[in-house]
Amino acid sequence: MTTTLARVVEEWHDEVPVARVEGEVDASNVQEMGDRLRSLLTNRSLALVVDLTATTYLDSAGLNLLFALGEELRGRQQRLSLVVAEGSPIIRMVALVGLDKAVPVHATLAEALAHAGEVPE
Amino acid sequence: MTPEPAAQWRDPRLSHLQQITDAALAHLALDDLLAALLDRLTQALDTDTAAVLLLDDEGQMLHARAAKGIEEEVEQGVRIPVGRGFAGRIVAERRAVAIPDVDHADILNPILRQKGIRSLLGVPLLVDGRPIGVVHVGTLTPRLFDEDDRDLLQLAADRAALAIDHARVYELERAARAAAEAAVHRLQSVQRVTDATLAYLSLEELLAELLDRMTEILSADTAAILMLDDEGQMLHARAAKGIEEEVEQGVRIPVGRGFAGRIAAERRPVTIPDVDHADILNPILRQKGIRSLLGVPLFVEGRVIGVLHVGTLRHREFTPADRDLLQLAADRAALAIEHARLYEQRRVTESVQRSLLPDRLERIPGLEVAARYLPAASATGLGGDWYDVFPVGGGRVGVAIGDVVGRGLPAATLMAQLRTALRVYAFDGHGPAEVLERVNRMLAHVAPATMTTAAYLVLDPEDESVTMGCAGHPPPLVVDPARHAHYLPACGVALGVSRATRYVEERFDVPVGSTLLLYTDGVVEVRGESLDAGLDRLRALAERHDGVEELCDAIVAEMVGGGSPADDVAMLAARPVAFGERLITRWPAQADALAGLRHILRRWLRHHGATDDETYDITVAAQEACANAVEHAYAPGPEAFEVEAVHAGGAVQVTVRDRGQWRRARGTHRGRGMPMMEALMESVHVQHTSDGTAVVLRRTLGGGSPR
Repeated sequence: MTTTLARVVEEWHDEVPVARVEGEVDASNVQEMGDRLRSLLTNRSLALVVDLTATTYLDSAGLNLLFALGEELRGRQQRLSLVVAEGSPIIRMVALVGLDKAVPVHATLAEALAHAGEVPE
Repeated sequence: MTPEPAAQWRDPRLSHLQQITDAALAHLALDDLLAALLDRLTQALDTDTAAVLLLDDEGQMLHARAAKGIEEEVEQGVRIPVGRGFAGRIVAERRAVAIPDVDHADILNPILRQKGIRSLLGVPLLVDGRPIGVVHVGTLTPRLFDEDDRDLLQLAADRAALAIDHARVYELERAARAAAEAAVHRLQSVQRVTDATLAYLSLEELLAELLDRMTEILSADTAAILMLDDEGQMLHARAAKGIEEEVEQGVRIPVGRGFAGRIAAERRPVTIPDVDHADILNPILRQKGIRSLLGVPLFVEGRVIGVLHVGTLRHREFTPADRDLLQLAADRAALAIEHARLYEQRRVTESVQRSLLPDRLERIPGLEVAARYLPAASATGLGGDWYDVFPVGGGRVGVAIGDVVGRGLPAATLMAQLRTALRVYAFDGHGPAEVLERVNRMLAHVAPATMTTAAYLVLDPEDESVTMGCAGHPPPLVVDPARHAHYLPACGVALGVSRATRYVEERFDVPVGSTLLLYTDGVVEVRGESLDAGLDRLRALAERHDGVEELCDAIVAEMVGGGSPADDVAMLAARPVAFGERLITRWPAQADALAGLRHILRRWLRHHGATDDETYDITVAAQEACANAVEHAYAPGPEAFEVEAVHAGGAVQVTVRDRGQWRRARGTHRGRGMPMMEALMESVHVQHTSDGTAVVLRRTLGGGSPR
């Protein structure tokens, strides 16, 4: 997916889709971003990893999306996990609104994939 | 004048004769005077005929001017040479001559014999001893004119001569005056048709005015102009006076047929004295009761482009002078029509051209942009020069310029296709090299064997850089804030050379306050000058002028012949603006606006020394306030909300104003904006006014985490 602000690069690690969000997410493209992330999930998917290490901007619109997505997946016995670089502005925003309390957040993709098979708490 | 001897007044006829020469005669016009004179002479002398012949100006010929009983003399314009024949002898010898028997005399004028005149008596008309003509009387029966007759006739002639001379001089004066007046009238008429002020009228007004003036000058009742169609087959009524139906009903006349058709086919004036007996196609002319017509062709460079005709409701014989005057008007009309046609064509061309170029440059906050497009002065078709400027996300701006070879609709259409394709590929997020490669491949599809130059650059004001891809286009110019100008190294072959062409892109520094100038070759290519000389001139000129508008104006004035370029010219100047202590921007209430605002605010914050974290935090907080404005501002429009940022005393204050009502967000995951703002800033105030809502955010720079 490509918008002028951001694009989503998808990777598959076995049954786990990884969505790498490159660029900026705000109110103008959050809807499209949500549709794209949801489309990666199949009934057989156990987890979705959203990699925000290449995300340069994320405000409440994007954070709200991730909160909502986390709830949706949990309701379907699926797991959403995030990859956010330590010390990045994004991790501060995630912490600020408490998203890290609602959704598992990892510093690297490898870490996130290692935990991807875990059953949601 | 001969004295009047008393003895001669014995004759009773003298009283009659007195009337001949009474003062009243002097007041008559010449013809009336002569008629009266001859009447009285035939009575007084009891003759059958009488005639007056006057000497011409050269004194060589006598012209029969008045006659009684031998009216044929005047009607046939009898002329008698001085010295010859009866009358000629009288003038030459300045004395009376009597001819008792015409049969045995030297008589030149056959009419005298044909009328059966047997005897004649003639005397000279003398004024101060100078002969001005002859008066003679004749009888159908033989008569021996005596001395009394002779004296009487001479006496009458002497007294009449002066009156005749006066009347004649007066007549000559009147004729001369009439001729002079006619000449003046004609001159005025010509002036009215060639009047320079007509040039200021629109074509419709000019044609109407010419028809008005022609009908007035030629005392005509109707006038019309018909134009030949592009195929040269049909004449269409274009303007009319007195026969407005011609235009209203869209009269069409085939060339070669009817009155107007004949004029166009034969390329010459045609006069129709009597419409009833002529081949007239147009029924309107007959219906309007037109009797006589005069028409002339409209010529442009020897080519017939139409017909101008006038008509009268009364029978009229149009003169060559009328025809010449009408032709003059026709020439004038033809010239104006041709000018108007060329002007209209050029206007349409320019209008199409402009519709293909960005009609209004997109306003991109933080970027000053100016552009010019000038069609070649001699151009009659559309040109292929183009430019474009558009945001490509991330606060970056795409700027493009190109030059399609050739003119006319194909070139303009291709130009529009290239411009659109380039935008689409740019919006898809491709960089300059990739965009050019894609446009190149597209060109091979839509217009094989067409070459065109283009340059596409992405300007990143935040990074203070530009990334360029160039396809054979003249090198863009960068003028840095210190006003040193340098060309970016242009490389790459033109689009359309090969569909396998690979393009490279290169990044160059463009410090804030620099001007980027793109242009087409018409700016630097001057006939008789090397390309390098043109580039040098442009660089020198750019170093002398500040501001994008000023720069474009200067180029138009100094490089492209004051706005009348020999070739098409397009140029685009863009400058990321330097920031001050206060930044004010206005935005449409659309989510799309957020990204633009974010980038300009980021640049402004960095400019004032904010750290990356501070920049991020303040930007997010401001965005949250703006997102609310976008969602709730009740007044959508081009400038629905305003963001003001002020740097003072080490602190930054951002105020977001909109014209709507502040609302707390509803929904499960909608209420995080306000807590985020409060967490990211030292203070957040929401002020409600009658105009709308203002959110005021404040944070001290260099103070670490706000709370």
